[in-house]
Amino acid sequence: MKDRPYMLLAELTYGCPLHCPYCSNPVQYPDGRELSTREWGRVFAEASKLGVLHVGFSGGEPLLRPDLPELVAAAHAAGLYTNLITSAVGLRKNRALQMREAGLDSVQISFQSDQEPLANQIAGASAHATKIEAAKMVRELGFPLTVNVVLHRLNIDQLERIISLAEGLEAERLELANAQYYGWAFQNRAALLPTRKQIAWATGIAAEQKKRLLGKMDILFVTPDYYTERPKPCMNGWGRQFMTVNPVGDVLPCPAASAISGVRFDNVRKRPLDWIWDQSESFNRFRGTEWMPAPCRDCSFREVDFGGCRCQAFLITGDASATDPACSLSPHREKLTTFVESIQAVHPAYSSAEQRPLRLSFRQNPTDRKCHTA
Amino acid sequence: MMQMDEQSRPELARGVRLRNDPLTGEPVLLFPEGVLPVDETMYAILRRCNGDLTLTSIIRELAEEYDIDPQTVRQDVCECLTQLREQMLIALFK
Repeated sequence: MKDRPYMLLAELTYGCPLHCPYCSNPVQYPDGRELSTREWGRVFAEASKLGVLHVGFSGGEPLLRPDLPELVAAAHAAGLYTNLITSAVGLRKNRALQMREAGLDSVQISFQSDQEPLANQIAGASAHATKIEAAKMVRELGFPLTVNVVLHRLNIDQLERIISLAEGLEAERLELANAQYYGWAFQNRAALLPTRKQIAWATGIAAEQKKRLLGKMDILFVTPDYYTERPKPCMNGWGRQFMTVNPVGDVLPCPAASAISGVRFDNVRKRPLDWIWDQSESFNRFRGTEWMPAPCRDCSFREVDFGGCRCQAFLITGDASATDPACSLSPHREKLTTFVESIQAVHPAYSSAEQRPLRLSFRQNPTDRKCHTA
Repeated sequence: MMQMDEQSRPELARGVRLRNDPLTGEPVLLFPEGVLPVDETMYAILRRCNGDLTLTSIIRELAEEYDIDPQTVRQDVCECLTQLREQMLIALFK
């Protein structure tokens, strides 16, 4: 079967009122101007023709785009399911109503913790109370609500209360996504990676609560791959089902892929989306199984996990075509194991926000020389 | 927590859409976090999940239309709906 994209992540801007130290935005922002309303409209129409059925509006903070309702309307007109992925900062009722009018299908709001002081400290902004209000408003307007909480060493012990928060907000879904350690999170991994004990406890809680909440709220818990034997099937395979268009129009097989040096990504200003998906060097670079080195090449899991994550392979081994070091069969697994063992002795409380200043590098916004707003 | 029983009237959960994939013509479920391909069995069940038909009526209709023993149908329907409820793709009304 021919690969076709089902989902498009539309990163509308890299600007954001929050500064989370695990942000998935690139540490080095690309040069260029943000795509205009009209350019995004073309992207959605081309994406739909190519097979995309679902678009996530993300960023940065997509609400920073004044034309967001128009963009939702354009995607909706192209026949796409539309999901807003937001910090909820700036999500006022009139704006939400405009987007409902425009055809917005669902809203996902991020929370940093259940407790306001820690949440604001992680976000690097006073946002927690605003988020709670916005989530209630979203429910009143009849949108389905997903709550997303990135888990790490500083908030994972509060998992039960985090689940209660989402339940209280009547979310249909709670995504408990352990931080993925590249980009900003990689820089902060010594402070963020939970201990083995924390992960084991949290995994049990998530499973138990998922059972209790059946039919009321779905809980998705993603274990950090530093603690798994097998790598994650990243993006379900490079260039197989997903595409990301970043704020300046570069098209990426995964939102983190711009960190891989030596791969050039084509831009929607220069090429049609179907050419980029089918023909571009970047999308074909790690497609299928031909590119795989040993041990992936002969592995019976090669069509299950697709060799894992290319960004992580590049980050840890310097070679984007290496087996993901999260795999126990990787010759580089030791590099992760050594790091994982080095943090086990840290008592979680020792680095908790109340007792110790966080030693984190917080995500920065693009400077005015990079990523000009539209 | 509401349990599924004979009188439950399942329907698509909030924000869940049953559409045809324009590329293949096959049905798919679109929901906040993704896309789920729908096979023939699931489609036959899903298009009866309209909030009006009870579980009993859905099973009876399917058994008649496909000429299958109702016990077998019941098992398929319950399995399918439980999986969809876990993912919050189906909601129950009474």
